[in-house]
Amino acid sequence: MKVLLLVFSLMVGFDIDCALAQFKGEIVGSGGQKFPIAVSPLRNLGNAGGDTGRFSTGIADSIVHDLELSGWFRVIDRSSYIESPQASGITLGSFDFKDWSTLGAEGLVKGGFSLRGDEIVVELRLFDVYQGKERIAKRYTGGAGQFRRIAHKFVDEIINQFTGIPGVFNTQIAYVSNSGGRFKEIYYSHLDGSEKRQVTDNRTINLSPSWGANGRSILYSSFQDRGQTLYLRDLPSGKDIRFNPPGAGRFLSGKLSPDDQSIVATYETAGNSNLHLLDRSGAIIRRLTQDPGIEVSPAWSPDGKQIVYVSDRSGSPQIFVLDLQSGKSRRVTYSGSYNTSPEWSPRGDRIVYTGRVGSKFAIFTIPVEGGEPRKLTSEAFDSEDPTWSPDGRFIAFSSNRAGKYHLYVMQASGENQRRLTGSGGDDSKPSWSPRLVD
Amino acid sequence: MKFQSRTAYLGLLMIVSGAFGCAPSATTKPASSSSGSGSASAKSPDSARPGDGQRGGTKESDLASSSLKSLQEGKPPITSASSPLKDAFFDFDRYDLSSEARAILQSNAEWLKSNGSTRVDIEGHCDERGTNEYNLALGAKRAQAARDYLVSLGIAADRLSTTSYGEEIPVCQERSEDCWRQNRRARFVIAERRPTT
Repeated sequence: MKVLLLVFSLMVGFDIDCALAQFKGEIVGSGGQKFPIAVSPLRNLGNAGGDTGRFSTGIADSIVHDLELSGWFRVIDRSSYIESPQASGITLGSFDFKDWSTLGAEGLVKGGFSLRGDEIVVELRLFDVYQGKERIAKRYTGGAGQFRRIAHKFVDEIINQFTGIPGVFNTQIAYVSNSGGRFKEIYYSHLDGSEKRQVTDNRTINLSPSWGANGRSILYSSFQDRGQTLYLRDLPSGKDIRFNPPGAGRFLSGKLSPDDQSIVATYETAGNSNLHLLDRSGAIIRRLTQDPGIEVSPAWSPDGKQIVYVSDRSGSPQIFVLDLQSGKSRRVTYSGSYNTSPEWSPRGDRIVYTGRVGSKFAIFTIPVEGGEPRKLTSEAFDSEDPTWSPDGRFIAFSSNRAGKYHLYVMQASGENQRRLTGSGGDDSKPSWSPRLVD
Repeated sequence: MKFQSRTAYLGLLMIVSGAFGCAPSATTKPASSSSGSGSASAKSPDSARPGDGQRGGTKESDLASSSLKSLQEGKPPITSASSPLKDAFFDFDRYDLSSEARAILQSNAEWLKSNGSTRVDIEGHCDERGTNEYNLALGAKRAQAARDYLVSLGIAADRLSTTSYGEEIPVCQERSEDCWRQNRRARFVIAERRPTT
């Protein structure tokens, strides 16, 4: 057993693995195995008594949650840990790596915290158990109520250490929820459900939230006043800009451009929906499509030069790409009779969308230039509304596999599908924020 | 623009009395009723008899208020069996009018002709399958198809506005074909007169 572990560690040890994994942007263990890691509860380094377990195990729990959600790590069960977290050291040389190698851990997260009033100071370290080295050492200071965000930031560092690209756990997901009632309102929270905020509270139907590139605004559509249109919410001030549609028309949905300066939106009048380019006040800059059929669900390419969208001009809803400079569109999907809700990968290479399989809906990706689609979810239930993580390595979506619609996250390959926290109602239309600055 | 299609906040529940003329009552004339919950096979184009609304005395029937208003008030967005304006139904992902839908619209047109001052908002609805945004566009197509047909039957275009609720305000909540069929509809609600500003 010892020999086997040693061989495994040589194959996927940090140094070797880093070079390999950085090349692929993913963490690939030997034979596709997940990387075994232990996350010790944090040591209380201050004098504060009381319920500090909230932070000691709370921060560790959040780190474990994120590592497991990534699908790249196997977190060794805490109940098997030998050390006492409040008695052993958290720096190199102040604890025994054998206590961790015995458990099969190759990576180890240790840390400590101290409370100063409403503020928390957290030290976190990542160790390479087999080489007996420290890989990351970070100190964070923040509001005690936001301790989970510190955990998310540290996991983003761990993933950066392995892959050369930071993780995406210090992000938020905006979504629509009926919270078990009859209205649909918009919310956002971290992936673990923490720091949940309600964006709309108008007791009507609010739909299609999407983030601005600065992470400070959310564009959404709503029936709250005088028919359906788009609203641009400034999150710091809580103020909305209503996009007043010309004539008797309506704005059905839209997305902010990668430079945050313009919006591509569906404008519908007399039954015809077409794509239009708008400014941030909602004024139409120019019309982008001229088709008598349905043109909806536009989304930007990462360079802002192309728009992926849905059109029924071929007789059924299919995915098309519009080149903004030439004004020309090309069809991307040819298989299936119902393909909708596309989003362009931040990496630029693939488009994710919802496609109908028999009587169910599943998530697919397809190369931007077209080709063979890859089905990522089972047609035993419905999965819809895919959205890319800001690094393009994950996809969030909604699915009714557990009865009601809940939000899920999976790797872009479709592996490691995991449910995010549910609201008790139907949750849908997730939109993944950019990485948060703080 | 002669009218606005912004009926989301309009649509007061209006109880029809003699002022709107007489409408067929489901309780006395079940054969002429083609309510949203009825089965498709029970209906034929002949069953919706134009002209029913002009006969008889002072029976009362309900005209629908907007589906959004019903949602806000916690009422199901059901078109009453006694409403003279019936729902027209559509196939999955389609917005062309079946012969059955045309017969219903012809009946609705007759009522509109004999109630010449009434303005109507046509709501397009979809079943829950497919994506919300596509269904909003599809619902708009359905409402427009119904409106275009009514105009072709001689109803003044400025009496008819359209709204799409996509799949957002279903009349039936189950995941079954019968339920989905009831939700794929054009629904007719009384629009308030455009406020003079």
